[in-house]
Amino acid sequence: MIETTEILPGVKLRCFRDTRFKQGRLIFQFVRAMEEKEAAFNALLPDVMLRATEDHPDMRAISQHLDSLYGVATGALVRRVGDYQTAGFGFSFLDDRFALAGESVLAGVLSFLEELLTRPLILDGGFHPEVVEGEKRNLIATIESELNNKAAYSMGRLLRSMCRGDTFGLPRLGEKADVAAITPQALYDHYQRIRRESPIEIFYVGSASMEAIADLIRPIVGSWQRNPVILPPQTGFTPVEGADLTETMDIAQGKLSMGFTTPITNRDPEFPAMQVLNTLFGAGMTSKLFLNVREKLSLCYSVGSSYYGTKGIMTVSAGIDFDREEQTRQEILRQLQLCREGQISHEELSAAKAALCSSLRSTHDTPAAIEGYYSTAALSGMGLTPARYMEEVRSLTLDQVVAAANTVTYHSSHFLKGDNQ
Amino acid sequence: MIKTQYPKLDEVLFRKTLSNGLDVIVLPRSGFSRKIAYFVTDFGSIHTDFTFAGKLWQTPAGIAHFLEHKMFDMPGDRDVSAEFAAWGANTNAFTSYDMTAYYFSCTEHFDDCLRLLLEFVSTPYFTEESVQKELGIIDQEIGMNEDAPDSRLYDNLMAGAYTAHPIRVPILGSRESIRQITPEILHTCHRAFYTPGNMLLCVVGDVDPESVEAIALEVLGNETREVGQKIRSWDEPLASPTENVETRMEVAMPMFSLMFKCDPVDRGEKGIRREIIAEMACEALFGESSQLYQQLYEDGIIDTSFGGGFEVIDGCAMLMLSGDSNFPETIREAVLAQAETIAREGVSDTDFARMLRCALGSRIKGLDSFDSTCFRLCAYHLSDFDYFDFPRIYESIRPEELQAFLAETIRRENSCLSVIYPTCQEEQP
Repeated sequence: MIETTEILPGVKLRCFRDTRFKQGRLIFQFVRAMEEKEAAFNALLPDVMLRATEDHPDMRAISQHLDSLYGVATGALVRRVGDYQTAGFGFSFLDDRFALAGESVLAGVLSFLEELLTRPLILDGGFHPEVVEGEKRNLIATIESELNNKAAYSMGRLLRSMCRGDTFGLPRLGEKADVAAITPQALYDHYQRIRRESPIEIFYVGSASMEAIADLIRPIVGSWQRNPVILPPQTGFTPVEGADLTETMDIAQGKLSMGFTTPITNRDPEFPAMQVLNTLFGAGMTSKLFLNVREKLSLCYSVGSSYYGTKGIMTVSAGIDFDREEQTRQEILRQLQLCREGQISHEELSAAKAALCSSLRSTHDTPAAIEGYYSTAALSGMGLTPARYMEEVRSLTLDQVVAAANTVTYHSSHFLKGDNQ
Repeated sequence: MIKTQYPKLDEVLFRKTLSNGLDVIVLPRSGFSRKIAYFVTDFGSIHTDFTFAGKLWQTPAGIAHFLEHKMFDMPGDRDVSAEFAAWGANTNAFTSYDMTAYYFSCTEHFDDCLRLLLEFVSTPYFTEESVQKELGIIDQEIGMNEDAPDSRLYDNLMAGAYTAHPIRVPILGSRESIRQITPEILHTCHRAFYTPGNMLLCVVGDVDPESVEAIALEVLGNETREVGQKIRSWDEPLASPTENVETRMEVAMPMFSLMFKCDPVDRGEKGIRREIIAEMACEALFGESSQLYQQLYEDGIIDTSFGGGFEVIDGCAMLMLSGDSNFPETIREAVLAQAETIAREGVSDTDFARMLRCALGSRIKGLDSFDSTCFRLCAYHLSDFDYFDFPRIYESIRPEELQAFLAETIRRENSCLSVIYPTCQEEQP
């Protein structure tokens, strides 16, 4: 059962108490409106903060401290949820019942969180310059390494072009040049600002009660001077003119990314129908794209569609031979057209519904899935619990799914091909 | 089914070897919706040579993976994936160097899914036409791996470091080798290795163990059949024939993978003990809490992509480190030097106690994942070890064993460094 409480103004705590797991999961996030000028700051901040504190002034000291707490897995969290970007930390840690000497791992994790947030390592009014420089270098390397995954690279270029009208096309981790320009003082000032202004989302999954978690969190956040802002609501796709882009690289296999728009977002009543449409059209091994474009016509090795419910965008990604571009593109459009015309078999519809229900039913099976579902729902404005969502999916008719298909419009594409053609 | 309790892990396992030779393991997880089943054959990409039905067989590289793809074909135009999908289930498979696994995940219709899994994996259906068609699909998969820097790095490393062991050939084989595959060879491999006596069924989820056993017998029958005898003696030297393997690709930054070849590990408890010692030794040498990691990270030689561990495959074992770095050779030198220091000075009791807690805690947390737990139960079972016995092994390990492992393993002559440089290499900083 999910419970939510506002422990202080602008500080939401969501708890899912569950004793089935051997680990607990705790997430602490500052929520920001995604903006070009600060995306890189939000991306860099948690990395820098996880490197050094007053009590544990270098990475090795922090790492050893976490090891002694039975190997707490910790990571910087930088997420994009629709128009928002979050910056924060995630912790996965052993449930107290397995601690060898009866100590509380949970209390240790909360005390480490307090250390991170309230006693960062400061020098001359900024974060420690060596730490900042090191993490800037790492973040730039991470941004550059997007190039290594060619399908993701192509999809990134597509979304960038499609979403010129709003912030959804901005890279989640910011631009290299913006990262490079950040100074230790500016980053610390930014931290002070987000600590003062940002809504805070805390999520806990594990065996402890919400009261216990609230009691541990309140003293950390309660000492801060805060004046939290209210974030603007999430928006759907902002129309801009479409474009078909081609890029060349030294690669053996082409990557085709196609982008579509729909007015349906996850805040709309038609959302379950759109999700079912995406599933039967292109998600999974029984979808029209997989069975026809890959299996029947052997046009590609990989093909699949994704639906970004927060924004109302559907994409298709395919790994193809360079000379199959036009043929693949036409076949993908033809399969979508079949959906629009209602040429969807009873089996296709029921398999898509069954797949979606199965995945919703298992939402509560892992701490990460629980946190992911409810956090995204809360931030993106989607109001359905997995159970309610499942009910809606079950009761959908073919007409409703076809109606959803008829809202989907082709917008843009990006094709990455080899340079020896 | 035989029930075993593991109080330290808060787990219970049911196990049995059925009359047809099939090993069955069930890990009940009450209160969870998801159920998964792995049906595994002790047959992977390295097992190309074997004797069966009184004959020696030398089959083409990539046969195990090809067979995995073809198992999804059923007579009468049946579509296995669609049948699973109709129940809201997913099915898939993978081929590794030393095993092939078929699995499904579902939340409803578990019995139906289990029957179908057992049925399709034990139904060979190969035609000339379908074998021909598969060539195109696997060619594309090979093409995808060629464009994926991680796979290229790994395949280059194996080819560079091994001379005799078939790990030097990619799991998929090559475009040439798969063209030697015929329906007859597929049939032979299926008869030799997809027989209950060479297989394992492992289920995780809120299911009744007795009913899993009953379904397995119902679908697979009582009969035991001959199992192919794999040829598993490879005359592989411990020294690496090449120190460096390099290539260029469209990557943002040089990527490296550094290997230290180790002696193959034994089966059973001795083997897993060796594996745990090796993993802890890796932590002591280059884990995030180590002096070396801190040093290399602060000097900008490694970043968070850096990591590594110990890998065990039938007939070989290796210690691997990989990541992105502009200075891969510096890393090899630093690892050699630091291993020498630890081998000389040892691991302190405090450090050891902390590492032990971390390793044990991480293993226990890992049990929350159905997929990784099911995979580990299978992999260790095939090595004749009860995975849930790991707490006992950890308790028995002493710091000196880590020291000895590093002294004996981290040697220049056993090392091989694979690097992928960017096609347009900018000047090194």
